[in-house]
Amino acid sequence: MEFSIIQVLLVGLVGFIAGIDQFSFLESLYRPIVLGPIVGAILGDAQMGLQIGASYELIMVGSMPIGGAQPPNAVLGGIMAVVFAISLDSADFEAALALAVPFGLLGQQAVNIWFTVAAPVMSKMDTLAAKADVKGIERLNWVMCFGIGVLFAVIAMIGTYAGAAMGVALSTSVPAWVWTGLGAGGGMMKFVGFAVLMKVMISGEFWTILLAGFASATIIDAAFQKGNYTLVIIAILGGAIAFYDYQLNTKIKAVGGNGNKGDSSDGI
Amino acid sequence: MASNLANNYKDKTLGATLDKQTLNKMVWRSLFLQMSFNFERMQAGGWLYGILPGLEKIHTNKDDLALSMQHNLEFFNTHPFLVTFVMGIVLSLEQSKADVNTIRAVRVAAMGPLGGIGDAIFWLTLVPITAGIAANLSMSGNYFGPILFLLIFNGVQFAIRWFLMHWSYKLGSSAIGVLTQNAKEFTHAASLLGIFVVGALISNMGGTTIAFVIPNGDAPIVLQSVLDGIFPKLIPLAITLTMYYLIAKKNFSVVMCIMSLLVFGLIGALPFIGLF
Repeated sequence: MEFSIIQVLLVGLVGFIAGIDQFSFLESLYRPIVLGPIVGAILGDAQMGLQIGASYELIMVGSMPIGGAQPPNAVLGGIMAVVFAISLDSADFEAALALAVPFGLLGQQAVNIWFTVAAPVMSKMDTLAAKADVKGIERLNWVMCFGIGVLFAVIAMIGTYAGAAMGVALSTSVPAWVWTGLGAGGGMMKFVGFAVLMKVMISGEFWTILLAGFASATIIDAAFQKGNYTLVIIAILGGAIAFYDYQLNTKIKAVGGNGNKGDSSDGI
Repeated sequence: MASNLANNYKDKTLGATLDKQTLNKMVWRSLFLQMSFNFERMQAGGWLYGILPGLEKIHTNKDDLALSMQHNLEFFNTHPFLVTFVMGIVLSLEQSKADVNTIRAVRVAAMGPLGGIGDAIFWLTLVPITAGIAANLSMSGNYFGPILFLLIFNGVQFAIRWFLMHWSYKLGSSAIGVLTQNAKEFTHAASLLGIFVVGALISNMGGTTIAFVIPNGDAPIVLQSVLDGIFPKLIPLAITLTMYYLIAKKNFSVVMCIMSLLVFGLIGALPFIGLF
């Protein structure tokens, strides 16, 4: 089935909104269960969209964005599953889903690329913040927000217009090692964020505390396999040490001592 | 970059108390926490966007506003649905004109643990249950399925966002009196907790592993499993310390660091190197 330009543009609009909503705003409009009937209605079969969307939703429940890891992309996978089910004119979910898989992977790669290229923008924000440019910060944030929406709109429109073959062509046009390399590079960028925090927070006496936190988290992660509660336990441990430190130093101050032994050496 | 920031605000007089309207405005803005998400500082840009209305009311001195905006652009990552809790606490500290080190330490200490709690509430409990019920309705051809899903999910989401914002701002404001009395001791304790959490984040969020295999006849040596046996998470720690060294001692800019990591990742992924 060929779709009209208006239908393609409307799917693009859905892709734009869902591309943004998967990270910002309601963070629920993008779920396949919601997108399914909407994309279905645009392409002329809301009922089929409703059911395909629900099937895809049940698959997605198993792959949530837990702990910041990126699962196969729900937005493009969900939209394209409906597009292909309707263009094949069959409610054969398995077949439509198989065609949609390259787009799910493409969506995941698009997200990774976007989060990588968006990193240098933070330096521009630093410059704006140093000038207390409130409007500038707000504007740049919105540019980045719309950017990812446009990226998803374009991929959704290409898929709807050019069909399933394009998904395969696009997702294999770049050699696998480039994706691996970009993924590895992107995955390491957070260490720069940590390093800057360390630079402004750490002083001689705190190095051992940093290592203690690192070691504790490694042990707790290993003990529970899935590190979902690790940081809660870390907060309890760290909170206990911090509370003890606070009590001790206020008492020392109360009896006339000098808590934290000196001003310049502790760096705070 | 955020390296040579002052530690104290110039205008030490208590900032304006934030009215309900401003707090509610920031609840709405908190929906866009991840609007400029990136791999380096994650939610930092959206975090600043969210609290800006409050910061503008509190810091009438322009230099103070600039200082506050700069330190609030440092690495930030928490659970998107629970962020208003951190917002309320941080804004009450900003209002009392606490020093930058204190605010930063509290921010870091609060953001980490919320991630685990939020995942447990939303992604592991609320979504599977509501999506399960709603998907069954949809499968039987009932359009109420998606509507039910949106209503429940967003009802819970907005109730939590709204409650946490107002509650934590009140909580923070009422604790300020005691804390300013022992400001130095509190900063020391909060920094300790903050550093402890940063150390934990390096391990908990640092997923970088290597795929390097040393050919050894029938028993090739997988380097990562050797490392896991000696010192798990050695690689995330080593990269973080290298970045710290480059930034703190070698005057590398943040952009230079992320670019080097990207090049390092690409070179390491070349088929004949096979590091990643």
